[in-house]
Order: sequence, then structure tokens, then C-alpha cells
Amino acid sequence: MNAIQVDHLRRVFTTNVGRFRRESKEVVAVDDVSFAVGDGELFGLLGPNGAGKTTTVKMLTTLLIPTSGSARVGGFDVEHESQKISSTIGFIFGGERGLYWRLSGIDNLRYFASLYHVEPAVAAKRIPYLLDLVGLKDRGNEKVEGYSRGMKQRLHIARALIHDPQILFLDEPTIGLDPVGARELRLVIRNLQAEKKTILLTTHYMFEADMLCQRIAVIDKGNIVALDTPEELKKLVLDLSVIEVEVFGVQDDLLEKIRKQKFVDNVSVENRDQRQILTVQTPRGSEAIPDLMAIFDGRRVGKVTSREPTLEDAYVRLVGGDA
Amino acid sequence: MTLKTIKAYARAVAITFEITLRQNFSDAFIIFAVIVQPMIIAILALWMLRDIGGDIGIFVIVGSGLTGLWSGLLFISGNSITGERWVGTLEGLVASPTPMAVIVFGKNLANVFQSLASMIASYIAVALLFDLRITIEQPWLFAASLLVTVVAFICFGLIMAGLFVINPAFAQFQNGLEFPIYILAGFLFPIAMLPGWTTPISYVLAPYWAAVALHGSATGSVPPAEIGFAWLMMLVFSLVYVLASGRIFRIVLRKARVDATLSMQ
Repeated sequence: MNAIQVDHLRRVFTTNVGRFRRESKEVVAVDDVSFAVGDGELFGLLGPNGAGKTTTVKMLTTLLIPTSGSARVGGFDVEHESQKISSTIGFIFGGERGLYWRLSGIDNLRYFASLYHVEPAVAAKRIPYLLDLVGLKDRGNEKVEGYSRGMKQRLHIARALIHDPQILFLDEPTIGLDPVGARELRLVIRNLQAEKKTILLTTHYMFEADMLCQRIAVIDKGNIVALDTPEELKKLVLDLSVIEVEVFGVQDDLLEKIRKQKFVDNVSVENRDQRQILTVQTPRGSEAIPDLMAIFDGRRVGKVTSREPTLEDAYVRLVGGDA
Repeated sequence: MTLKTIKAYARAVAITFEITLRQNFSDAFIIFAVIVQPMIIAILALWMLRDIGGDIGIFVIVGSGLTGLWSGLLFISGNSITGERWVGTLEGLVASPTPMAVIVFGKNLANVFQSLASMIASYIAVALLFDLRITIEQPWLFAASLLVTVVAFICFGLIMAGLFVINPAFAQFQNGLEFPIYILAGFLFPIAMLPGWTTPISYVLAPYWAAVALHGSATGSVPPAEIGFAWLMMLVFSLVYVLASGRIFRIVLRKARVDATLSMQ
């Protein structure tokens, strides 16, 4: 039996628009999603903002009822057996909310330990262990309102683990963390993986998914567009090379012009301070550089490099440069 | 339900009680509504009514204590689910194996317990300022009335927490509900002073029966049989509230999972 089994899951949100003549508008957050996660597997769900990652996780953690389709977690149906699922799962959603800021870290853990029916003697041992695991051993008695964002994220992890669940849902756990905090959190996730926990991780950091996940599903516009191991996903772009061009204030019309070139497979832009990095995927490799430069037509260009494709390039190809 | 589950729920109620009290005591609004405001009401009422004489002192203290209980119930217990949503903790509570009704029960217990402190605060303020010696005529009946009142208010809070979530229109009238109940339930003066058509409304309010039992036993002005009847009414209402709240919580939580309103996006 799979730890998580998802079959044709769909979720539609209804919102009201208009001030005087209010009309209902339907938004499809998850269209048709199916996948399975084995026991002890670390499974990644990748996708751009609004792709349906968090909605999928909320349905699997019983916090949202699917519009159609079905999902089983730990063998129980997410819609009709939510009470049976509750003690077998732990979850965290990225961000600082979800903790009692006027209480200490220890009191937050004590409270959730009791709500998750952890025996007091077990909780008394587990709370110091978890605080140590997430690097908050010396700050547990302080009020959460004084914690940094990273500390709150780590306390969230401890909270999710307080009842020692077998299945964990980590929704963008490293978002907003500084590089050191994010690295420490990834180490915690690795340790959990070593403990044979089943983990569903959502992220849009490719290197994070590449480093941690055994299999990855790429979700875009509410549908799974690819599902495989990171190595196999990288093979999707073996026919391509990547040219990175440092530019300063790139215009939309120029991007469109590059996109229309026959030798260009995909283009994406990443902002870095005052400059942008234009990433062009092409089957022609470095041979395409002169043709590419010709399109810039004298505009200011910085460093130009050519490299082998990564998982991120496979992802960009799959989601069409929306990342 | 197994003994192990009952013990787990009892522990959940106990820690919710503790956590809620600790959080409330660091909230200035709650301190004002539950402790300071009843004290002001007690002082003003006694100052206005002191020439009447008789047992007005204890009537005012019990009445102002009831105002604290009601304000606490209305603003704290009524918001006990929506408040968790505002701070982003509702998802964690709903996803836990402890039913939401058990958690809200623990919160209401803390709120009612804290509100009782307002009665003591009013007693001290009035005794010091007006140099009054205040006696409770039927202390055992008063203690029992207080216990039944606590049960009735906790159960009433369960209903309100659910209703405020299921229909935001209830929450919009939250401020407007504070003083009418003070008056309709006879906290500060007997309902006999009100127009006759309001009496049936008073009879369906558990706080009215609480006021009858507490005022009656404190002043000795009501026969024990009538106090017993007030207890019966409070317990009947409590049973109705508990049964209704179980259904309301199921509807509320199902609706929140359908409408995606467990968290504020």
C-alpha cells in the first residue's frame, strides 16, 4: 500500500466578483492530479506560484475537501476519514503564522503535544529532543514573538513532529529563510528521511528538490506535467544547451523576439539586483551565441556563458518559462 | 469512547484552559472587558443606588459580576474559533485528533473562570470605596448557583463560537448584544421594571436564570424552590446548547473545508 495515493484530484474555488451585480466566478486550482508516494519516500511537488501545490497539500492534509477525485493518506480517505488521518500526519505551511506568539516555544509544543494525545511522559522527553533537532534548544523558553522567521519555521517543524507522525507534508518549508537557515532546515529534512518518514515536499527551489527528492512531480496550471526521478527529468533537456546572458533592463518586445527565433526552445528571465539573467535554451549550444547577440542589436550586455542543462532547465521547459 | 480517549480529552481541556488564561492575561482589551468594566459598573451603580439601602450592595456586586461573565462570553468565547483563524492556528487545531468542541470547551472554561475574577474585583472595589459590609444570605445555595451558572455559560459559549463562524452576521451584532443582555437578563435591576412584552425573551436566556439564582441566593429574597427551578432551567438550556453545538461544529468545520476558510489567505 502506498503512503499517499491520489487519483484524479480536482479542486475548484468559487469567488464573487463585482460590487453591485455580484457574480460567481470559478477558479480551477487543481484540475486533474494523480500520483502515488511510497512508504518512506521523499517525494517532491514542484511548480510555479499558483500551480496548485498548496491546494493539493491542503486536500491531502484534510484541510480542504476535494471538488472531485479521491485521495488516501495512510490508507484513509481524506474527505470521510479525516479523524483517522490526523494522528498519522504532520504538516507545515511556509510562513510565520500558525504559532502562538505570546507563548514560548516550549509552551507551543506542550499545547500541540496534548492536542495530538501525546502522553505527558513522552512529551516531556520529546520536546527537548525536537528543540535540539531544530536548533532551538537554548531558546525554547523565550516567547515566539521574539523569534526570527527562520526560528519560527524551525519551531513549525518541531510542532509537526511532536506526535512522531509517519507521513509529513512540508509546503515550501525554506521559503523566506536566509541561506544558512535554509541549509539547516534541509539537513533536518535529510535526517527525517533517514528515519524512513514519508515526506511530501513542495518547493520551487530546483536545487533543493534535486538534492532531497527521490521522485519529483512537476505541476503546472493544476495538472501534473511530468513525474520521474530528478535524473530522468534532467534527460528531458539532454538535447539542449543553455546560454546565460547578463542584461540590463530587458524589454518585453526583445524577449518576444528572442522567443520567436527558430533556434530558441525556451527563454526565462531572473532578476538579480540591477541586472537580469536571461536563460536561453537552445539545441545549437554555443554556436547560437552570435545569432543571439545580433538580436540585442547594440544593447548593453554583460557576461555571456554556455553550460549543460540542469533540473531547473528541465523544469523551465516543462512549465514554459513561467517559473 | 475509551477511557484513554477521555483522559486525552481531559488533558486537552486542562492545557487549553491554562494556555487561554495565560494569553488572556496579556491582552489589555480582555482585562478591560472582564475585570475593569464590571468594576466601573459596580462603582457607578452603587453610587447611584446607595440611598436605597437594604441589600443593594450584594445585588450590584453579583450583577456587575454577571456583566463580566456575559462580556467575556460574548467577546472571548464568541471569537474563540475566528480568533484562531486570524492568527493562523485554526488549521493546526482542526487537523489534530482532538475535536474542536473539546478545545472550545477548554477555552470557555478559562474565559468563565477569568470572568469570575471580576466578581471578586467588584466586591473588593465596592467594599473599599463605600465601606460596606457585604454578606451572602444563603452561601451554600449561592455556591451551587455559581457552579450551575458556570456550566450554563460555558455551554452557551459553545453555541456562540459556532454561530459566529457559521454566519458572520452574528459577529457584526457582537457589540450591540452586550448591553441588551445586561438589561433583559436582569443583571443590574429586576426585569419587572421592563415592559411586559420583554419578559418571554428573558425567560429563554440562560443568563436570566443565572441572575435569578445568584441574586436570589445572595440576597435571600427568593425561596429555595425558585432557585432550584432556575438551576433546572439553566441545566436544560445547557443540554440543548451542547447538543446543538455538536451539530453546529460539524456544519461549521465541513463548511470551512468546502469554502477554504480555515485559514486567512
